[in-house]
Amino acid sequence: MKAVASTIAIIGVAALGASLPTLADEPLGSGITMYFQMGGNPGDGSTLPRTNGARAAAAAYGVKLVEQYSGWQPEKMLNHFKEALAASPGCIEIMGHPGNDAFAALVADAEKRGIVVTSGNSPLTKLKDQYTANGFGYAGVDLYEGGKLTAQKMIEYGGLKKGDKALEYGLRAQAERGKSDQGLYDTLKNAGLQVDYIEISPEVDHDASLAVPILTAYIQKHPDLKAIGTQHGNVTAFIGKALQDAGKKPGEVTVGGIDLSPATIDGLKKGYISVTLDQQLYLQGFLPVTQCVLSKKYGFAGLSTNTGAGVVTPKTIGALVPLIDKGIR
Amino acid sequence: MQPEQNGITQRVRAPLAAQTWRHIVRLEKVDMTFGRVQALADIDFQVGRNEIVGLLGDNGAGKSTLIKIVSGVLRPTAGGIWVRDGPIDLDDYSVRMAHELRIETVHQGQTLGEKQPLWRNLFVGRQILGRFGFIDVKKEKQIADQLLRQAIGFRGQGITAESTVRDLSGGERQGIAIARAMYFQADLIVLDEPTTALAVSEVRKVLAFVEGVKAAGHACIYIEHNLAHVHEVADRLVILDRGRVVGEFAKGEITLPELTNRMIALHEGHARGHG
Amino acid sequence: MATADSASIRVLRIEGLPIVAVLLILVVAFMIAAPEVFLGYRIYMSFLATVPPLLVLAVALTLVIAAGEIDLSFPSIIALSGWVLAYCIHELGSPWLGLGLALLSGALVGYVNGILIARVGIPSIIATLATQFLWGGLTTVLSQGLSYSLGDVDQLLLWRLLVGRIGPFPVQALWALGVALVLWLVLNRRRFGEHLLFIGDNAKVAEVVGVNVAREKIRMFVLMGVMAAFAAVLLTLENKNFFNTQGGGYLLEVMAAVFIGGTSVFGGKASVVGTVVGSFIIGMVEAGLVATGLQGFWVRAVVGIVFLAAVVGHLIIEEPDRGRTVLHIVRGKLAFNRKASS
Repeated sequence: MKAVASTIAIIGVAALGASLPTLADEPLGSGITMYFQMGGNPGDGSTLPRTNGARAAAAAYGVKLVEQYSGWQPEKMLNHFKEALAASPGCIEIMGHPGNDAFAALVADAEKRGIVVTSGNSPLTKLKDQYTANGFGYAGVDLYEGGKLTAQKMIEYGGLKKGDKALEYGLRAQAERGKSDQGLYDTLKNAGLQVDYIEISPEVDHDASLAVPILTAYIQKHPDLKAIGTQHGNVTAFIGKALQDAGKKPGEVTVGGIDLSPATIDGLKKGYISVTLDQQLYLQGFLPVTQCVLSKKYGFAGLSTNTGAGVVTPKTIGALVPLIDKGIR
Repeated sequence: MQPEQNGITQRVRAPLAAQTWRHIVRLEKVDMTFGRVQALADIDFQVGRNEIVGLLGDNGAGKSTLIKIVSGVLRPTAGGIWVRDGPIDLDDYSVRMAHELRIETVHQGQTLGEKQPLWRNLFVGRQILGRFGFIDVKKEKQIADQLLRQAIGFRGQGITAESTVRDLSGGERQGIAIARAMYFQADLIVLDEPTTALAVSEVRKVLAFVEGVKAAGHACIYIEHNLAHVHEVADRLVILDRGRVVGEFAKGEITLPELTNRMIALHEGHARGHG
Repeated sequence: MATADSASIRVLRIEGLPIVAVLLILVVAFMIAAPEVFLGYRIYMSFLATVPPLLVLAVALTLVIAAGEIDLSFPSIIALSGWVLAYCIHELGSPWLGLGLALLSGALVGYVNGILIARVGIPSIIATLATQFLWGGLTTVLSQGLSYSLGDVDQLLLWRLLVGRIGPFPVQALWALGVALVLWLVLNRRRFGEHLLFIGDNAKVAEVVGVNVAREKIRMFVLMGVMAAFAAVLLTLENKNFFNTQGGGYLLEVMAAVFIGGTSVFGGKASVVGTVVGSFIIGMVEAGLVATGLQGFWVRAVVGIVFLAAVVGHLIIEEPDRGRTVLHIVRGKLAFNRKASS
């Protein structure tokens, strides 16, 4: 009996050993094509790390990645989905900007055809709950929660009190992107601060350096300003400059921002920027690809991951610099 | 700019220095084709040293095209050009070169920049330069003011060197274009319909000017619709019809009534759709 | 039809005077509404640091529009030349090489534009729109989508020379005004500039008076390219950063600056002084409105009003007949309304 068992064991191990090279030869995701909506424009500060994460995962799994860039425009995102459908890929990744209702019919069509659909960056809660079993997951930060967290950390690290004056400089007019600014604004307001709001113009949205004189003027107009918050990645980088131009020293005004564009590092190091929200955008690229492979191959259900780790401060920035330079963080 | 100037100057020096040339300009077997349209065909045309040539023809006969070839604006698709009996390299010939060769043209219609002041219009393309190659605006304005006082068509009411061409009447514009050609002392002056916008008294001045050109020893090509005018002053008449020379008459070889009938017959030939 | 200009109109014809008046009115208005900001020096120093790239672009574009053409590709030069400079500083450690290559890259873009427009014959609006995409896309490829931080660049001689500070005063303002002066001289006192004016006035006339239209157009686009590259250098050095999407926000602002300044969109008539003033108006207006407490949504509307007022004003001054027509219509409307209500 023992001899038979050990023979079987040995044959089993040998068989496994023989098959292992085969398994190792064929990457997990080979033969799968995935259409991935990256969100902004190629190379954008808030898009690049996501792109890099998706590409890295695709390379590791052997997935054929098709990248789509919509400049954050919801109509374009819907069109891109239709293009993806026409190609009948294995998976499609989308973002929540157009909303659950706009996507409902399209996603239903995709699901019927057996395409795995998953999401990132901005949630599609209704659809996710509906199709979790088919692999519909989410990898991102809740925009509102992100703004909220940024504000909370601003209050904490900046020692902000009731009655302090604050400015939120954001894109509240934009349906989805505006939620993060709303979160920041509401949280500061609820803490008892006097919050003023300015909308970012399209020119500044594109060339954030144009924000400097605008902010300088505002800061000078309100000399007792205690805090400035934004959830615009590129604008975050220039707030320090505006403070400098207005004659403020680092720390006089608490600044909360988002993302880790190379320019923001300067601000963090100099101490002008107090906290910045880290979305860990790389994960927003890497995880959906992983989701795609696991669900397509093994039928795993959709996973919801909150990629927001928290905030980066002047104290914690040092370790991240080399990764930021590579476009990973 | 410099190399071109040297090249032209060399080419100009020889012909200008030579005293024994017969024709200030001569076209031989010249064709001008625009795409599928043949504007000029097999043109032999010459202007003598001290000759007024009247160029006649119906609208579309090719007069303006011929003029543009003489003045360097267009390059003929075939044939040759001689200036002062010296051959001209068609690749080099340009308006600038024509000016250097002392051929001035008053084109019909578009010859002045409407939004530009008079002083710029007078000197554009051959500006008077001061130190460091900057345009000597003061000098240009000075000379412009002088020319204005003598120019045909001007009655001296509020027009200065700084006035914009747009503010001028048709006659005043004509006067400026002629004054420009006069100032640069042409050996050959080409006038394309110079009297169209002028009052009767001013027309007399143009005719007197044309005769004056001859008296000074120079040549002139004169295009006119008014047959009486051109018959009066021309030494030789050349008639163009549909791109070809169809008649040539020396002074006295044809009377005004005969000429008039000829031109009418040509015009009616078109109306009847012949050819 | 020679009309004697009334004395008042002649005064208004001093180059740029009307638009300077508009600028002064705006500044005074801001001073009254937000004295704590506009009576101090800081905000002006901030403007003098941010307006220069806009100014350089606008003045160069003025020459292009004077010649009856347009260039929509300069935002892509801001990106491309900015990348060239940033790459040379960040990767190669050679700032001066970066400056040279950046200007050269601008010249290259300009040269390609010139050939497409003057030799191939593509209308400039289409050609430069196409090259805008081409070079912008190329920049993204070259930069691999990365933005560079040029952290210590403010230690370099190049930085101090071009965008350093004399006290609080930004040096780039001097460079920009220098460029404006040079281009004013080129347009108004050089043969090349005069040729551009005639080309913009009427290209057929220009040909007939001996201007080599194609050659001058190519030169002009190359000049535009080099100036745009210089603006890119000033911008990138001032920001101490290269963003690979930089430049896009400038397109409409630069054009607004040119037309507010009084340059005619039809060509043949241009005002460098007007453009300089227009650049400052555009550069200041949003900050000023924010300082007065006016909500940011109003900014575009105000810019639009200023723009229209400036354009109509220029029209009335340059073409008194049309101006009279406008007043006539207005009076007519008022009379009609009065009649209707009686």
